[in-house]
Amino acid sequence: MTTTFAPATPNPVRPVSFGRVLGSEWIKLRTVRATVWTLSITVLVMAGLAALTGWSTVLMRESDIEVDAILLDMHPASIVNGGWFFAQLVVIILGVLTVTGEYATGMIRSTFAAVPRRSPALLGKAAVLFATVFATSAVAVALSWLVSLPFLGQLDISVDLASAETWRLLGGTALYLATMSVLAFAVGALVRHSAGAIAIVIGLVLVIETVLASIPLRIFELVSPFLPSSAGGRLLMDEVSLSFVSNPDAPVLTPWQGYAVLVGWVVLLLGSALLVTRRRDA
Amino acid sequence: MIEATNLTKRYGKKTAVDDVTFTVEPGRVTGFLGPNGAGKSTTMRMIVGLDRPTAGRVRVNGRAYAEHRAPLAEVGTLLDAKAVHTGRTAYNHLLAMAATHGISKKRVAEVIEMTGLESVAGKRVGGFSLGMGQRLGIAAALLGDPQTLILDEPVNGLDPEGVLWVRNLVRFLASQGRTVLLSSHLMSEMAQTADHIIVLGRGKVIADAPVGEIVARAAGGAVVVRSPQAAALEEALRAASAAVTQTESDRLEVTGVPAERIGEIAAGAGIVLHELTPTNGSLESAYMQLTADEVEYHSENPLGHVAQEQGALR
Repeated sequence: MTTTFAPATPNPVRPVSFGRVLGSEWIKLRTVRATVWTLSITVLVMAGLAALTGWSTVLMRESDIEVDAILLDMHPASIVNGGWFFAQLVVIILGVLTVTGEYATGMIRSTFAAVPRRSPALLGKAAVLFATVFATSAVAVALSWLVSLPFLGQLDISVDLASAETWRLLGGTALYLATMSVLAFAVGALVRHSAGAIAIVIGLVLVIETVLASIPLRIFELVSPFLPSSAGGRLLMDEVSLSFVSNPDAPVLTPWQGYAVLVGWVVLLLGSALLVTRRRDA
Repeated sequence: MIEATNLTKRYGKKTAVDDVTFTVEPGRVTGFLGPNGAGKSTTMRMIVGLDRPTAGRVRVNGRAYAEHRAPLAEVGTLLDAKAVHTGRTAYNHLLAMAATHGISKKRVAEVIEMTGLESVAGKRVGGFSLGMGQRLGIAAALLGDPQTLILDEPVNGLDPEGVLWVRNLVRFLASQGRTVLLSSHLMSEMAQTADHIIVLGRGKVIADAPVGEIVARAAGGAVVVRSPQAAALEEALRAASAAVTQTESDRLEVTGVPAERIGEIAAGAGIVLHELTPTNGSLESAYMQLTADEVEYHSENPLGHVAQEQGALR
């Protein structure tokens, strides 16, 4: 402890800018354990499920079981990205905790004291979250491709890296997971409560969207294709799966239309979160 | 410089801060006093834009806090020792705060050294004692070398050495011409640290004056007199319209006349005095009188009432 409190050396303090806020949010994201854990689990789930899907496909081919025609026509990239559904549950948790962790600990008051306009802080968090989940998911997809290579070889198929559909399925996985994490982040910013927000988003993905899609009422048939995960998920489905899950009586979205609808949900929720956070007491 | 004008904060029907107007001047330590629930913390949160005023406004160094381009260089704030993510280390917390204002790692290391956090800087904040949390909060407040400091209960949880350190720190910062506003429930601490005191009670300013003036305003001011002829002295003093209380057989407490006059009366009556001691009103008694009607959580039980007020003063 010293008895002088002023800086020993000239201490340049610069105005707050979005770039500096991004830098700060990146430090915050990488220095909590939740980030390391959830991202590691994302990679493990993706690679593990790719290996399992490949292995089970090989087993089905080798056995005398009548293999469904659908399975035989499956795009090879769908074996690689087969873990997306479970991986999204993990990135949803990360997205929520990125903001609710600050509310739970009181950190949000330090954040808003440093960035009192608040919106740059929330947008900075969302941007850093998106980029980090995107990069991690891309690594997870690459690793999934590597671990599924032996099984693809046994099936005499390969992932055609020159095909646009391959890139849609594999790149779309990273894009979808990153976008879902920001959707969860926006809900977390609105609800400000970890368990509540996780329950809402995972409940939406696992329960509400599935249940609504299966209720044979016209209104639900019309609405359910536009729900966030049902719409966005089309980006990472191959042609066979797309036709399989499409209800002929309901609106049918192309993969990119579906993703655009998901982005619309994120814009709506994040916009509401920004508006509400500016007005609320921290 | 902090200027609050008609600042009001209501939570539903409850008014936490009620039309408060005050100015915190640079170059001195201003103490913020008040019982629990008097609105001190709410007022401090409104100053830095964390709570939105229901009415009125508050400016720091001439502008609303959020309008400053580099707020951490204007105002350093310790509002809550636990306004830190518990899973992050102290060093990384300060680094993230510093990054928003382009403040160097060197300055981060400096504030860690100043606050004596070197040995725990690499540890996660979740395991910190209250005192270490306070030091970290103060370190964060100092990062931007701000002109104005707002410290809510900075000595809460500190050991005696830490209390002394905070006292020296805030006095030093004020001596450099900075504006310092701190709240504390420790009256004795406030008497030694603050130059000026703003007393809040039930959301209103009930006193805003230099420490000396607040103490002098305290009725107290009794004179203790010991005399082997206490009864005769009491009679003579009452004749001079003084209020006299006999506390022991040879000891009187006199109010209403100054010590000099008591000496003259005794001499005139040929009464021997063994002691003649003026007692100053303490900040405690001044504060108790000022806030007697303003304590929010009165208990039904009169004994509980006393305990409650003492609790509020802790």
